[in-house]
Amino acid sequence: MTSSVVFKSFTALRHSSVEHPKLIHPHTTPNSPFPYRRFRITASKSSPKLQNRNLRVAVIGGGPAGGAAAETLAKGGIETYLIERKMDNCKPCGGAIPLCMVGEFDLPLDIIDRRVTKMKMISPSNVAVDIGKTLKPHEYIGMVRREVLDAYLRERASENGAKVINGLFLKMDIPTRGNENVKTPYVLHYTEYDGKKGATGEKKTLEVDAVIGADGANSRVAKSIDAGDYEYAIAFQERIKIPNDKMVYYEDLAEMYVGDDVSPDFYGWVFPKCDHVAVGTGTVTHKGDIKKFQAATRNRARDKILGGKIIRVEAHPIPEHPRPRRVLGRVALVGDAAGYVTKCSGEGIYFAAKSGRMCAEAIVEGSENGKKMVDESDLRKYLEKWDKTYWPTYKVLDVLQKVFYRSNPAREAFVEMCADEYVQKMTFDSYLYKKVAPGNPLEDLKLAVNTIGSLVRASALRREMEKLSV
Amino acid sequence: MSLFPPPLTRLPPSFSSKHHFIFKPTLSIRPTNPPLLLSTFKASTDDGGAGVSASAATVVEPKSEQKEPDASESVPVAEENSNGAVAFGGGVKVEVSKFEDPRWISGTWDLKQFEKDGETDWDAVIDAEVRRRKWLEGNPESSSNDDPVVFDTSIIPWWAWMKRFHLPEAELLNGRAAMIGFFMAYLVDSLTGVGVVDQMGNFFCKTLLFVAVVGVLLIRKNEDLETLKTLLEETTFYDRQWQATWQDETSSSPKNE
Repeated sequence: MTSSVVFKSFTALRHSSVEHPKLIHPHTTPNSPFPYRRFRITASKSSPKLQNRNLRVAVIGGGPAGGAAAETLAKGGIETYLIERKMDNCKPCGGAIPLCMVGEFDLPLDIIDRRVTKMKMISPSNVAVDIGKTLKPHEYIGMVRREVLDAYLRERASENGAKVINGLFLKMDIPTRGNENVKTPYVLHYTEYDGKKGATGEKKTLEVDAVIGADGANSRVAKSIDAGDYEYAIAFQERIKIPNDKMVYYEDLAEMYVGDDVSPDFYGWVFPKCDHVAVGTGTVTHKGDIKKFQAATRNRARDKILGGKIIRVEAHPIPEHPRPRRVLGRVALVGDAAGYVTKCSGEGIYFAAKSGRMCAEAIVEGSENGKKMVDESDLRKYLEKWDKTYWPTYKVLDVLQKVFYRSNPAREAFVEMCADEYVQKMTFDSYLYKKVAPGNPLEDLKLAVNTIGSLVRASALRREMEKLSV
Repeated sequence: MSLFPPPLTRLPPSFSSKHHFIFKPTLSIRPTNPPLLLSTFKASTDDGGAGVSASAATVVEPKSEQKEPDASESVPVAEENSNGAVAFGGGVKVEVSKFEDPRWISGTWDLKQFEKDGETDWDAVIDAEVRRRKWLEGNPESSSNDDPVVFDTSIIPWWAWMKRFHLPEAELLNGRAAMIGFFMAYLVDSLTGVGVVDQMGNFFCKTLLFVAVVGVLLIRKNEDLETLKTLLEETTFYDRQWQATWQDETSSSPKNE
């Protein structure tokens, strides 16, 4: 299996990292209450115990990642600060969450505006395939309004004891590397808004022991720790209010358009929202032509959104891969700030929330519920766990994108294959439950043969098409 | 923007499309759709209030005729080279003609019209489909529910594809392999005196044979050499991006010794 082969080489890299932690803080051993543990691997055990206070952690950014992280930290007994610049931020987003997120994060069902149970994939030559008949009655893709979801998660964090601050993070003072004194705090500089709109807010500072950067694709925390850049896609979306009779069609159905006209390396979509549809597209390589792609998407959906009125236009960047550096000292990045958006589907909400939670759990564990100081190795444990759990998912989606979004013939083959029930079942199973499900090997083989067949046919047609133009 | 599950293949095929995607910007798409009432109400980005956004991930701010001055945010106009062809609120009426063909009935090819000597002429079906796709590439159509396209290329039998596409190429490649084989066998024989039959028993010669066959199969055009190199890089690129954060850790720890 391709994924397991790749996985093996990745583990090899991590083995070397496990041996190193014992070298990271040799200088703390004189201060350590357990001097006989000098050469033990668990470096965090030799970290000093905190006197008279709990660990202080700041979470910058109050989206799904920040909210989930703050909640877990607060529940773990850590003094948590959640800094969010815009409490009612209506984010431009597809808003699709997988079924497992509802269960894992105990989301109330009224947060979900719509349950999408059917999808239509439309190829460049307008071959339309319906997928979703393999879904069981309780399975669906939830469509949420980001402002509702984000606010709910923040609210829950605050209920558990996190202090939510309405402020804009500016920069942070990092304790110098090298012979660092483990006790030196990170000093955050932020502007606090105290409810008055239009006011510039007052500059404040906050001293914390660790920072979780959950501030999204243009993360300032990432800039502070010099995390490096990533390639990103531009997603452009128009919210269109269409007449009620047309809205019925989109009651529980989402559409996906593929083609060179719609996007050279991504797809165009029509997603139903609470009372309107979101029509959009995205691209990495041809950002300058995004408006043209959007027009083409609208053109392809023309009959179905006839008579619609555009009520909002929005755009946002989507990371394509993780940043080169996701952890530095006691600062960790999660969610979009780290670049945890999958390829091929561009899904980010679930992974943001999950990574926030995982990072927070690592901090809670490493600090023994806030009693001890954490250090980089504890945060690396979160990275390890994350990479191990979700690497296969990311890799498979990357391969899918490389194979099927390459060219029009590949996209035609893609849509043709979606008609297959086995494909639909595997797709939904892995999407809804976030597990790369082991399939039936015989069916897998049949699938492989069919895939190759589709690709070959589509490619052959393409070659003929090229002959036609000459 | 997330979402949506693309179909999952457990064994992604190694078939690599040799056709690099060449984006043709000369699509004749009329940007303004006459039936849609386009009134841009409010344009906003998600990075509005930040003020300084020096990072590389600048957000595209769509050009909007009527921009509502936002009290709490200043909307930065970070303009990318947007193609000015799209104008909101335009009223240019253009009718894009649909694909028409007497044999294309209700979203699929009517096979009865492709009969030749009592049997379906699959080559003609393939030609017709090629022409349809070519047309659509230049004039993308709206996908409609009343008139869905249900044509599936797999109705054309496998032997029709073989005969038309595979066999000519197979002939070409076999010809190349035969020429290379004969010439190399002659050369080796003249240099070492080992005959064809004895060459087959030698391990080195068998390796050469393997390399020759693989070479003929993989490198069919001059460009294929470059294509193969980039493909190889591509397969491991994503992995390297993910592992970048671990390089950082293993290289920094010796510093603390």
